[in-house]
Amino acid sequence: MMQFKALLIDAYRQLSAAKLFWVTVGISVLVVVAFGSISFNTEGISIGFGAYQIESEQLNAGSPWARGLYIGIFSNFLVKIWLAWIATVLALISTCSIFPEFVHSGSIELTISKPIGRFKLFFSKYIVSLLFVVLQVAIFCFGIFLCVGLRIGEWNPLIFSAIPIVATFFSYLFAVCVLIGILTRSGITALLITGIFWMLLWSVQTSEVILNRFVTGLHVDIERFDEGVVATTEELNAIRAESETDFRIPKLEKRIESYEEDSIEAQDSLAKLTPWHTPVELVLAALPKNAQTIGLLDRWLSDPEGFDIGAIMNGDMRAFEGEEVKEFDPTARGARDREANRRIQDDYESRSLWYVVGTSLLFEGFVLGLASMYFSRKDF
Amino acid sequence: MPAIQINGVVKTYRGKVHALRGVSLEVMDGEIFGLLGPNGAGKSTLVKILMTVIHASECSGTMLGKQIGHRQTLENVGYLPEHHRFPYYLTGKQVLHHYGALSNVQRKERQSRATSLLSRLGLCGWENKKVSSYSKGMLQRLGIAQALMNDPKLLILDEPTDGVDPVGRREIRDLLAELKEEGKAVFLNSHLLSELELVCDRVAIMVKGLVTMQGTIDSLTVDSRRYEITTLGTIPEWATEFADDVSANALTLLGDDPAKIQAVLDRLRAENVTIVSVQPVRENLEDLFMRAVDHKDAPGAIQ
Repeated sequence: MMQFKALLIDAYRQLSAAKLFWVTVGISVLVVVAFGSISFNTEGISIGFGAYQIESEQLNAGSPWARGLYIGIFSNFLVKIWLAWIATVLALISTCSIFPEFVHSGSIELTISKPIGRFKLFFSKYIVSLLFVVLQVAIFCFGIFLCVGLRIGEWNPLIFSAIPIVATFFSYLFAVCVLIGILTRSGITALLITGIFWMLLWSVQTSEVILNRFVTGLHVDIERFDEGVVATTEELNAIRAESETDFRIPKLEKRIESYEEDSIEAQDSLAKLTPWHTPVELVLAALPKNAQTIGLLDRWLSDPEGFDIGAIMNGDMRAFEGEEVKEFDPTARGARDREANRRIQDDYESRSLWYVVGTSLLFEGFVLGLASMYFSRKDF
Repeated sequence: MPAIQINGVVKTYRGKVHALRGVSLEVMDGEIFGLLGPNGAGKSTLVKILMTVIHASECSGTMLGKQIGHRQTLENVGYLPEHHRFPYYLTGKQVLHHYGALSNVQRKERQSRATSLLSRLGLCGWENKKVSSYSKGMLQRLGIAQALMNDPKLLILDEPTDGVDPVGRREIRDLLAELKEEGKAVFLNSHLLSELELVCDRVAIMVKGLVTMQGTIDSLTVDSRRYEITTLGTIPEWATEFADDVSANALTLLGDDPAKIQAVLDRLRAENVTIVSVQPVRENLEDLFMRAVDHKDAPGAIQ
């Protein structure tokens, strides 16, 4: 424990010595202040501590949507953009040289000649290095917690769940950074390759989302076209039962034919896309799912009964209305797209914690296993 | 009990470079032991194997009574690596606390030891300054202080006087003598033969991964002991029968027995040869080193 504490204090001193650490803390505080400058009053929303006023009948003090908007800004913008991108890049820049410096010739001999096992040393160093992100996010979350409590009267401890989520998200990337760092002993190389790995993850995840969107859309199309065939056939039969010469019969026959053609076309497209979608899904299953990990926060913080800024950003206004609206024509393109979006959202939200975090941690464990094996066997 | 006893330590890199080819040596408790050798002889590799920094290909032996590589034993070993680098963001005092804590030294002990070691190594007034502002000599002193933080029974120093000025070297020599008085074993790895000669009880010379000589300086130089007699005028011819080497006005008699030269001196005097000097001579460590190294061969590990 004494040794772990010594490494912890050392990591803190190392980070404190880095100016970038304090720059990031400063920007975090500014972001929190900007967030705190948004408030609700009886007329609407006030921004910049009263500098700007947006009048609104829906979004004002005490409105159920005020909470959704405020929490939504946190989970959709501050977490997904600030913490998951900008702060993570700054954290990677700050921490990329920790392991290369640790294993630097002249420095490593002093540490590994002490009575501490190499595995213990490696993992202790790894854990304390994550301190950077934990500290940053903890400061940020505390500020957000105060803002949410003071502005909308909700003292929501779930806001602090951003700490483990962002730290876990960062750890996927940091594990790769550590592996490259101890292999190459170069912070810049580690940073560069981690950046490439991040882009690779982003590409795989984006590909999976796009393919999933197409596949889900095609499934909805096929269902809706088949339903259209059934409904139109019933309508046709009913008309035929009354009159075989009704003027609507050719039109309905043409519509059935069109539905059948569209269904066949959608099935063909699905058959072409599935061989692409399945492997991408499998590859993603084995890789860290950082976007979905960050998405957990949105999932945990969103109020199913309230205003969902994420859904509105996806164009689903029914979330804003708060109740189901019956589609006028379920086979229309807009209705099919909305249904596909809902299914995709349900699909991602139904993915278990084990799938999102567990498999990602398995990947991280594998990378760290490689790094620690190398570290423990290496002659320095 | 020997502080270090190793037999047949072998280290081969990638199956090609033979850094150590079966090194055996012994360092006794309470002695200062010097390990010499040219660059690439394998001295630092051997030290690093003892300190678990490098894994040996083959190794049998003990350090402080435990198998080499036994991690808890390192609690009682102090180590100063060659070209060590302390974290730039730490002060001298923080360096001592950090490495002391890694050696499982309790906080109270760390505080008292850090204060006394900083004073003993002449770093008073610098304890709260960042090590990035230290000179090379000061870093070396701090390195030695760091190695002593756990009050070790065995101290392993790799080039401890590297970059230290003559006054500092003298102080380090005095410190090593004090540590020996305290009963600690000191294992020194250095190029500075004159330094080693002044402090070491025993030395070993390594060449190309093998220990070629080992023992006290006296025992290693016993064969080179001789008397050199210088005269005014030519040496008589009969002297060649007794002497091992004769020149125009000097003769050399091998051995360190003074009785052996008395008869020669008497006879020279009897023949009115003026004796200018009679000098007992022995090899110094540098001569011994050069003889052991056979400097005609290229230095370095065997490939």
